[in-house]
Amino acid sequence: MNRFEFSGKLKTTLLIGIVIGIVSLVLEYFVYSDGVHSMFWGDILLNNAYFIGMALMALFVMSAFITAWTGWYTVFKRLLEAFNAYLIPGAVIMLILALGNYFGWHHLYLWADSNFAEHDEVISGKSGFLNKNMYLLATVVFVGLWLLWRYKIRTLSLKEDAGVKGDYSYHRTMRNWAATFLPLAGYTSAIMIWLWLMSVEPHWYSTMYAWYTSSSWFAGSWSLLILVMIYLKSKGYFDKVTKEHIHDMGKYLFAFSIFWAYLFFDQYMLIWFGNVGEETTHFKLQQTEYPFLFFSVLVLNFIVPFLGLMINTAKKSYWILGSVAVLTFLGHWLDIYLQVKPYVAEATAELTGQQHHVFPFPNIVEFGVMIGFLSLFLFVTFKCLSKANLVPENDPYLEESLHHHV
Amino acid sequence: MKKRKDVVYGIYNDEHDLLNAVRSAKDKGLEIMDVYSPFPVHGLDPLLGLKESRLHIAGFFYGMIGTLTAFLGMTWIFTKDWPIIFGGKPYWAVPSFIPITFELTVLFSAIGMTISFYVVSGMGFGVDNFVLDERISDDKFCLAFDKEEVEVSDAKEFLESTNVEEIHEKVVKA
Repeated sequence: MNRFEFSGKLKTTLLIGIVIGIVSLVLEYFVYSDGVHSMFWGDILLNNAYFIGMALMALFVMSAFITAWTGWYTVFKRLLEAFNAYLIPGAVIMLILALGNYFGWHHLYLWADSNFAEHDEVISGKSGFLNKNMYLLATVVFVGLWLLWRYKIRTLSLKEDAGVKGDYSYHRTMRNWAATFLPLAGYTSAIMIWLWLMSVEPHWYSTMYAWYTSSSWFAGSWSLLILVMIYLKSKGYFDKVTKEHIHDMGKYLFAFSIFWAYLFFDQYMLIWFGNVGEETTHFKLQQTEYPFLFFSVLVLNFIVPFLGLMINTAKKSYWILGSVAVLTFLGHWLDIYLQVKPYVAEATAELTGQQHHVFPFPNIVEFGVMIGFLSLFLFVTFKCLSKANLVPENDPYLEESLHHHV
Repeated sequence: MKKRKDVVYGIYNDEHDLLNAVRSAKDKGLEIMDVYSPFPVHGLDPLLGLKESRLHIAGFFYGMIGTLTAFLGMTWIFTKDWPIIFGGKPYWAVPSFIPITFELTVLFSAIGMTISFYVVSGMGFGVDNFVLDERISDDKFCLAFDKEEVEVSDAKEFLESTNVEEIHEKVVKA
């Protein structure tokens, strides 16, 4: 089976998931209304930022692999390609958010409220970067560049497949695109993280934040990749992907979980030890009002993968690796939840003058929205996967990948 | 325990020749004494039936000892033995203990595993181990048979049938 067939049953399941997401969003819009619909917009921002980030990191990882002449992943290269298909719907949703910010449909960002920003010294000092034009322009230009690079790498890969074996010209061209994408994605992802996520708390900033969030994206991307791979293997696809490949995917999840913990700790300890009021507010809110979420994120994203995947038999076991991947996937979603929702609630309270709304754990409707976005992500992934051969027959590194052994 | 060993061995230039020789020796049922190589040869361990090393499990426990030493040590020093306030932080300032805890974990597991490795493989200061051929630590690969386990003529005949460079006989201290 060299071609994935997007079966009707799977399609229906995912469409039901998308409907659950839409219903949850409608409920949030009408039931949890606080005048500015902060639940509704906040959840769109949170989920879309998480999933577009995972799509971007799939493209980034692939570019890094191509640049580094990596061979082992070639056999499941198409899955990585399919993973970055979400960049397209993600870009559309981000554009809606950016336009909403421009025209004032939502009030997620304190700095976008001109009445508020004018009288605030800190925010007006940052207005050279934090302004509506910048937000819209950066979203359009940078996400547009990601889409361009994705389109180029994908079409070159498909052309290579349609060509003759031994013709490496496409691969050479692809290498140029992949190598240029690395610095491009490195800088632009950081800028987008500042604008989309860090600026929900415009008085606060941290130089580690972009790294921290992109490591969340990386680990989330690998956990979802592992889960989709396990699902596809259970359906009989990717029979050339062996335990050795799964083992290495597990290693990446393990490594990026430790990387995440390292960045979390760096950011936390510097702010904690420095004890500067403008900086500690970020963690004070998390620890006083969301302590359960704060510590569960640490457990799910570090303790669980660190101890769970330490021994190599665990990385080769579908059950252990799969359960750890489910937990880290949720953990990184909760992490971004913790970075966005509390501050959106605070900003909303400030703008509307209402009571500050505390929700110590995501409620069922918020999980519903996540399921909707996850289903959309998987839907476009499977759709993209079904359009090309699963194993890229003409990739110069295929032979190496088939004999991958550690 | 016997003090001396009578060995027949073949020298190979390439690890593929070595792997093929090991494979056919297994097929012919010849008891291999040992294989020597200047670097780890991929696929050799399962061929020789060597079990996976348990060194890393020991390493985990050495690491845990390091974690506990550092964390409990600092806890005792900064809360009971000599409490000092640093930068307005509480005595039991957990986040500032983490870097040192991490470092001692790495240090203990590294040193512990090194010592274990030396003890298990019988190396160390003052231990005089035999070296079959000086070149096996440079660029040659070696497949050795013990004369007690394999007939000399069988071993030689077998080695000649493979892509061997040189065949030697040697008596070594076991």
